[in-house]
Order: sequence, then C-alpha cells, then structure tokens
Amino acid sequence: MKGENEGQIRIIEAFLASLIIFSSLIVSANLTVTQNQPENNYLESNGLQALIKLDSDGTLGRYIDERNWTAIRDSLNLVLPAGTSFNLTIYNEKGQLIGMVSNGGLNSENLVSIEYFCASQSSIFHCYILHLKLTVAAS
Amino acid sequence: MRIVKRKNSGQLLIVAALAIAILISSTTAYVYEVSKGERNSQKQCSLNNYILAIKQTTRNTMISSLKNISNGGENTVLFNNLNTITEVLRNTYQFGTCNQNFTLLNNSNYNLGVWLSWNSNPGVSSTYANFTLKIYGVNLNAEVNYQVNVTTSLLAEGFYTPLENQEKLVNITCELYNEGEHALAKNITVYYENLGSWILVNNSNNLSIINYDNGTYSISFQANVSSSTVPVSLHVYDLREIFVQANITCNAS
Repeated sequence: MKGENEGQIRIIEAFLASLIIFSSLIVSANLTVTQNQPENNYLESNGLQALIKLDSDGTLGRYIDERNWTAIRDSLNLVLPAGTSFNLTIYNEKGQLIGMVSNGGLNSENLVSIEYFCASQSSIFHCYILHLKLTVAAS
Repeated sequence: MRIVKRKNSGQLLIVAALAIAILISSTTAYVYEVSKGERNSQKQCSLNNYILAIKQTTRNTMISSLKNISNGGENTVLFNNLNTITEVLRNTYQFGTCNQNFTLLNNSNYNLGVWLSWNSNPGVSSTYANFTLKIYGVNLNAEVNYQVNVTTSLLAEGFYTPLENQEKLVNITCELYNEGEHALAKNITVYYENLGSWILVNNSNNLSIINYDNGTYSISFQANVSSSTVPVSLHVYDLREIFVQANITCNAS
C-alpha cells in the first residue's frame, strides 16, 4: 500500500514539475509575440521622414496646390525604401477629400498609418491633412 | 536512510523544474525588457520627427503669410493663418492630443508679429512668433517651446561717378539675406529719384546686374539727375517670393 502511494506521488510530482516548465514556456511565448512591432516602427519612421523631406522646402505643399499627383507619387517612390507600397490620401483643412496617390495594392498585413499635416508656402494659404498608409510590398 | 533518499528525490524534481522555469522566464523577461527599451526609443524618435514636421508646417505658414503681407496683404493674415493650423492640429491624433498655442511678437519693430521696414537700409520683411506645442499621448507626452522667425533683408551701398552734363554712373552693391544667411534673388528692380518722382531703371539706362551666386549683386546704371545725390530704391523678390525693398542715397565717389 505504501509502495502504491509512493508511485502516485511520483507521478503527481512529475506532473507538477512539467506544469511549472510548460507554464514558463507559455509566458515566454506570449512575451515574444509582442516583439513583431519594431518592423512597423521602422516603417512609420521611414514614412514620416519621407514626408518631412518632401515638405522641407515647400515642394509637397506646392505639388498639392498644383494637384500634381504624379509628381507626389514619383517623389515618394524615390524617398521611400524600395519595396514599400503606399497609399496617400489628401484632405483640405475642412476635411474634404481632394486627392489620392498610390503606387500599387496594399496588403492588410503590417499596415502602418501616418497622419501628417502640411502647409503650402503660396501667398494664398492652404493647409492639408495627409493620411499615408504604408506596407512592405509582398514579394 | 534509503527511504529518506526516495522521499527527497521527488521534491528535488520539483525544485529542479522550478529552477529551469525561473531560468527560462528571467531570460525571456530580460530579452523583452531590452527590446522594450529599443521600441520606446523608436517611438520617441517618431515623436521627435512628428514635432519636427509640425515645426516645419508652422514655418511654411509663416513664409506663406510673409509672402502675402509683403505683396500688399493685411498684417492680420499671419494671425489668421496660424489660427487655421492650430485648429487643424487640434483635430489630428498621431501620437495623442495635440495643442499648439502661439504669441505674435509685438515691440518697437514688430506689429502683430510682422515687421516691414522698406524706406531704409537694410530693408527688412519679417515675421516672428513664439509657439508652445503640447502633445499628450498614451505612452509619451511632450511639451516644446520654440520660435519661428522668417526674415528677408536687403543691405545696399553705392556711389556715383559724374559723367557729361547731368549724367551720372551709379554703382551699387547689394546683399540679400534669408534669416541672416546669404540668399539668392528671384527678381531685382531698380528705381532712382529725379525731381520728386521715381523712375524705373531699364536697358535704356545701360542697366547691368552681376550675380555673384552668393547673394551678392553688383548693379550699375546711368541716370540723368540734376541733384548732387542720387536716391535709389531697390525692389527685390527672394526665391521664396517674399518682397523686400531698400532705399539708399548715392553720393559722388
């Protein structure tokens, strides 16, 4: 009887030990899932820097004033890293849609959205709100 | 003795498992903390870029306003335009609630943040305002105080050499500045005063403008002026299309 109990206790102990190890593995796995975000952060940073670069000498505002969407698309293609898909939606200060620029389809995975606002340097003042959606193009 | 060893071996198994679990958890927690720090620094970097973008937009607004005002617009244009971007900023939410307040400079030179000094040398067209930007986000807060000064100034000096009769050869050197740095001009127009009226200098006056490509221009022309001095007015647009004017009086060399 004593020997039977010892066997059961061993099984319970082994079960407890494996439970402890598995629970620590599960906690670790959950923590590592959240580490996929840095790639998105880099994409967000690249997108914002691209818009800042285009806007630094008033070029972005001038292109929007002129409704020159082709020039905006070409400029963004130049300043964004290769293989980046984007969709830029432009609104005026009242929130009315005035234009859209895109270089291809966006897949829904790892989509980054950036809100930027831009003022033109023209003597008749215009202010625009830009929504830039970015993703790494599927190869 | 043998019985005691058997009893302890089960506990040893649990203690060993616990040690392994602690090892796994602490390693993972360490890696997570390190990457969390990296993520926070990236987020901070993005926030800094966002603040830079807002400053840039504010600056573009000041340039647009000065362009308008120096071409005949009201001084209130600056206030109205800055008000517009303040309202638009309130409706954006990239990192959190965004609020920007501004104060236009008022002193002996500036009125409602605008200074136009054109009947002088140097001639000045300028706007100046102070800003306080506050961003309240979920993880990051920021408060930034900054100033934006957009100034186009024109410094000129000149003299004339008497020619035959009342004809005079006027030589002027002028320097154009944007925010204190040499800048290029888009257009230069020269006038001289004779008998109380300003006369446009053109090719009939043998007008010559030499551009040294560093913001310095050498201008010469012939003028038929009866007085012993030649008042000259230079009207200049910089590459941003901001207008500035400088008036000088040229004496005989």
